[in-house]
Amino acid sequence: MADWVSYYRGDGPDEEEDGEQQEEEGQEAVADHRFSGRDSLIFLVDASKAMFEPYEDEEAATPFDMTMQCIRNVYTSKIISSDKDLLSVVFYGTENNKNSADFKHVYVLQELDNPGAKRILELDQYRGDEGRVLFRETFGHNADYSLGEALWACSNLFSNVGVRLSHKRIMLFTNEDNPHANDSAKAKLARTRAGDLRDTGIILDLMHLKKLGGFDISLFYRDIISVAEDEDLGIQPDESGKLEHLMKKVRAKETRKRALVRLNLYLNKDLSFSVGVYNLIQKAYKPYPVKLYRETNEPVKTKTRVFNGKTGSLLLPSDTKRAQTYGNRQIVMEKEETEEVKRFDSPGLFLIGFKPLSMLKQHHHIRPSQFMYPEESLVTGSTTLFNALLMKCLEKEVMALCRYIARRNTPPRFVALVPQEEEVDEQKVQIAPPGFHIIFLPYADDKRNVDFTEKVPANREQVDKMKEIIQKLRFKYRTDSFENPVLQQHFRNLEALALDMLEPEQAEDLTMPKTEEMSRRLGNLVEEFKQLVYPPDYNPEGKVAKRKQAGDGQAEKKPKIEISEDSLRSYVQSGTLGKLTVSALKDMCRHYRLRSGGKKQELIDALTEYFSGR
Amino acid sequence: MARGGKSAIVLCLDVGIAMSSSAPGEESPLEQAKRVMTKFLQRQVFAESKDEVAVVLFGTDGTKNNLASGDQYQNITVHRSLMLPDFDLLEDIQNKIQLGSQQADFKAKRKKFEKRHIELFTDLSSPVSEDQLEIIIANLKKTGTSLQFFLPFPVDGADGHGDTSASIYPQLHQNSPPRKRLTAQQKEGIDVVKKLMHTLDEEGGLEEIYTFRESLERLAMFKKIERRPVPWSCQLTIGSDLSIRIVAYKLTEEKVKKIWTVVDAKTLRKEDVKRETVYCLNDDDETEVQKDDTIQGFRYGSDIIPFSKEDEEQMKYKTEAKCFSVLGFSRSSQIQRHCYMGNQVLKVFAAKDDENAAVAFSALVQALDELNVVAIMRYAYDRRCNPQIGVAFPRIKDAYECLFYVQLPYMEDVRQYMFSSLKNNKKCSPTVDQLSAIDSLIDSMNLVYEDVDGETFEDLFKPSKIPNPHFQRLYQCLQHKAFHPNEPLPPIEQHLLEMLEVPCVVKERCKAPLEKVKALFPLKDAGKKKEEKTAQDIFKDDEDGPNAKRRKIEDEEDSFSIMKLAEGNVTSVSKVLKLFLSKGNINFSNCIQLINRIDQFLENRSSQYYMKGINCIRAFRGEAMKLSKVQCFNDFLQALKSKVEDKALADFWEIVVQGMIPFDFLSII
Repeated sequence: MADWVSYYRGDGPDEEEDGEQQEEEGQEAVADHRFSGRDSLIFLVDASKAMFEPYEDEEAATPFDMTMQCIRNVYTSKIISSDKDLLSVVFYGTENNKNSADFKHVYVLQELDNPGAKRILELDQYRGDEGRVLFRETFGHNADYSLGEALWACSNLFSNVGVRLSHKRIMLFTNEDNPHANDSAKAKLARTRAGDLRDTGIILDLMHLKKLGGFDISLFYRDIISVAEDEDLGIQPDESGKLEHLMKKVRAKETRKRALVRLNLYLNKDLSFSVGVYNLIQKAYKPYPVKLYRETNEPVKTKTRVFNGKTGSLLLPSDTKRAQTYGNRQIVMEKEETEEVKRFDSPGLFLIGFKPLSMLKQHHHIRPSQFMYPEESLVTGSTTLFNALLMKCLEKEVMALCRYIARRNTPPRFVALVPQEEEVDEQKVQIAPPGFHIIFLPYADDKRNVDFTEKVPANREQVDKMKEIIQKLRFKYRTDSFENPVLQQHFRNLEALALDMLEPEQAEDLTMPKTEEMSRRLGNLVEEFKQLVYPPDYNPEGKVAKRKQAGDGQAEKKPKIEISEDSLRSYVQSGTLGKLTVSALKDMCRHYRLRSGGKKQELIDALTEYFSGR
Repeated sequence: MARGGKSAIVLCLDVGIAMSSSAPGEESPLEQAKRVMTKFLQRQVFAESKDEVAVVLFGTDGTKNNLASGDQYQNITVHRSLMLPDFDLLEDIQNKIQLGSQQADFKAKRKKFEKRHIELFTDLSSPVSEDQLEIIIANLKKTGTSLQFFLPFPVDGADGHGDTSASIYPQLHQNSPPRKRLTAQQKEGIDVVKKLMHTLDEEGGLEEIYTFRESLERLAMFKKIERRPVPWSCQLTIGSDLSIRIVAYKLTEEKVKKIWTVVDAKTLRKEDVKRETVYCLNDDDETEVQKDDTIQGFRYGSDIIPFSKEDEEQMKYKTEAKCFSVLGFSRSSQIQRHCYMGNQVLKVFAAKDDENAAVAFSALVQALDELNVVAIMRYAYDRRCNPQIGVAFPRIKDAYECLFYVQLPYMEDVRQYMFSSLKNNKKCSPTVDQLSAIDSLIDSMNLVYEDVDGETFEDLFKPSKIPNPHFQRLYQCLQHKAFHPNEPLPPIEQHLLEMLEVPCVVKERCKAPLEKVKALFPLKDAGKKKEEKTAQDIFKDDEDGPNAKRRKIEDEEDSFSIMKLAEGNVTSVSKVLKLFLSKGNINFSNCIQLINRIDQFLENRSSQYYMKGINCIRAFRGEAMKLSKVQCFNDFLQALKSKVEDKALADFWEIVVQGMIPFDFLSII
């Protein structure tokens, strides 16, 4: 038994059989993780007194509260979207200290690790007024810190992690724009340290918070922060006085952007430049369950063995083939051949031509879009050509049509490259990156013909009444307006279990229409509209009269259809058993005492075997 | 397809002797007819059409049909009665159908079915009895059977008619070579056919006559699988009091192909492949545990939380019922195309046969359209499905009004990545010349023409008219494998590849602009550099390492502690050391300080800091040599070594050893 080939499910991507059923996107995401290591993020939080002082506006949270709220949000969202990332929280400007190099006034609250329930709970302790008191008691405040040492402690945290890190980032939260104004040695040390971080590829972002009199970056932080090469906006965002804005700044940077694939865009056979393709939207799924051993709650490994049912001998991948059945014939191919069928060309985007943007049909949607940004690492000079193309497409309001092969064994799809101009909001945070959206276009096979309902046009009065209704219910849609209630509830349940809470917090379901608010806003409009369009006795909730009749008919059950053996045989011979209903097939299986599953194909198979055998 | 939609198709093939004669270098009409039939049937097989097909041969030597009596219906063989087409039939047509030596009466037989087609493949060389024509026509009309003729030549000498369907690959159209002259018999046949078709269908009768050649071109593509959309009935609700009965259909959806089943390579039976899943503990023995002894858990970040199926079921989010509810209305420009989620579009209409619903629905669609707003919806297919957020936008056509529904992302699905600005980056700003080159490229590769009237457009390249090449290729390979299981896969068909290419006109037109783009934009293949640091790189004796450029030398500092030296600025190391050592105060305690500092560097475990450490050591070594304080350096190395061993920094030590032969280094190792 020991030499049986086995592979593990749950521990990694299933490469053999299950790979075929796996969604393409899934494979990409997993593969990325394995090859490039984990992402890590340290929240370095200024804990000096100024951070705990409320703004003039009494209602608003203190800068520290805002920071903790923000960190907590990142923790929970990481648990949902990328729980493999490592997070850490470090305070500086505390009285007490805790760090591997014994620097004064630097307190490592949480080492770099996956976010978990206990950590979130720990963060929650320091929120609000009580939190402030607890913080003072536990850590105290001391202004005699050295930012350089705090950064040094952070870089130690990165280096003490046992796993390979692909992306290292420190987010510095402070409302002090000149921490070492009177101590040039400390200021110099901080600069040196920041330089070292830069050299070792650690990105240092400043999440500066609102300060009385304004936060002046040029005083000190200009030399400290390092902008990732691929995130350079040429401008700095404004300081944050509101959680919402801080969140926006943090969210823009918290996840490392990963190219799904880097490839060439061919203008023709021998002229190409390189681009990276990204997912700006990716469906977040409920994670798969893990199997645990009942006694100890430890995770168990799952092994799947493939063997021959008759001989019991183990089947290596090469001992199996792949088959599909068409026209009563099983057609067999090698596994490699099933891959080869999907191979058309090497990966790349191949330009077909240009069309006006207005030609992109709104309803020709088939897959979530992707995003394209130039990539210098393969072909230098790509960015300039890309930029020229982007500028011209925007100016002429055209899109580019391309044939797109994402990977070696992916069949081609046609895509529209829709130009996107860079947009920044009032606070100078990027809300739309420059580049092209890759919109997937349907093939003839992907579209269906549907029969339509004849139109009965409404009159002017009716339309106008509806317009009034619409005007009352307008709001501004944003892509982050709605949380997924299924995911939120799932994670709240887990949180409750993890933290031994009695009742899970009920997630507010934002997808439910707010009927009370709507009724209030609409007032009599709905009644008036109904009077205009519906006759008094009409009930749209009720079933149509026709349906009801059909329902009545069902009450007197149809007599069972008796099918003679001869006609059955002819059905079998012509391969048209599929015409019969499942219940008829079941009856017949029962009649001939055939054992079979409940599915239609199984029933048909059983009958076919029975008759062709005789 | 619903049960009523099936049709019966009778393929009548003339195998009379005349079908074999052909002009030199050309395929005989029989072979051509067989190819058309094969293509047709292949399409049916792969589209998994429920239509039944029969094959009737006429002009055979024998007679086998249940109408045969006396001299009626002679030389007609029912090769296969109506049933679903399969590969056996395909093989039959390719291999078994051979010429008969007789000439046959020209008659079709009929059978009961709901929708009937009879396809006649003939060269009309058999005598046609006009006297029976009337009866045939009457019968065909009575049963509503359609008749199509496939002939080896066009009816009117010239092309009978143009290809009515939009031809995607016009380059394949060739002029027909001159035909051999038709016999009198054939001419007479044509007359009969014409008469027949005209009587059957006064208007477009002749359009049902095809030549073999054009049929082949049309049938080269595998048919797309027709699926009847399943209606989804629901009520569109606005608030709690207003509902409109609607019905929705899937408009686009990426079709799922059949999945491959795994079969045993020897027996080719899927039943022989069994799978067994076992669970085992993560210990050295991999102790197996029973499935019943396992429970379900979920990861919550770093924690794994036991959460049984039952509890999960009880606590999870529950969708109340299917719904299609308006949450609010939003300006249409706020919904960006690239935010569409999911893999389908629904087309929503008012419920069928409900005039009241239709009026209410129409009011909604028109109001949305006039205000240029869209509805943000909550959509749940049914109780078991998770709810979606989506957008419904209006569409008004002459024949109908509808809403299109597409899913939108949840907050959790959006990744806010930041990308460097292209506008604010001078390095990648194109010049005026470069821009104008791109401008003319875009013009030359324009795929859309405005027609003379200025209103309609002609689109040279419509992906939505192209069959999915993946399926075309898959069917081609499957079909090949069905007949030749042991041969390798065939190459991709040329016409398929051509379909995916830039249209010829555009290809020609853009040549010059592309040359210009190529000349104006310097592009260089970067080739992926692999960064690999060897000991040699690190110990290269040049002072202008990457660090050297980075910062100015901090000369102004006047205190020379070895701490300072190690603190950061490596370029100044040798300088500082020289000053430092020349003062004659090199001793063991200094070394300890240096070791501690190097040690701190090493905490970081990255090559950047290794290099700093090594640079320090190297500088120290150089100075020690000059001052003949060799012992001091060796002591230092000894101490460093033990320190390094404690911390398991073997890789660092490795670099030290490789790069530096101390004065009697061997003794230390």
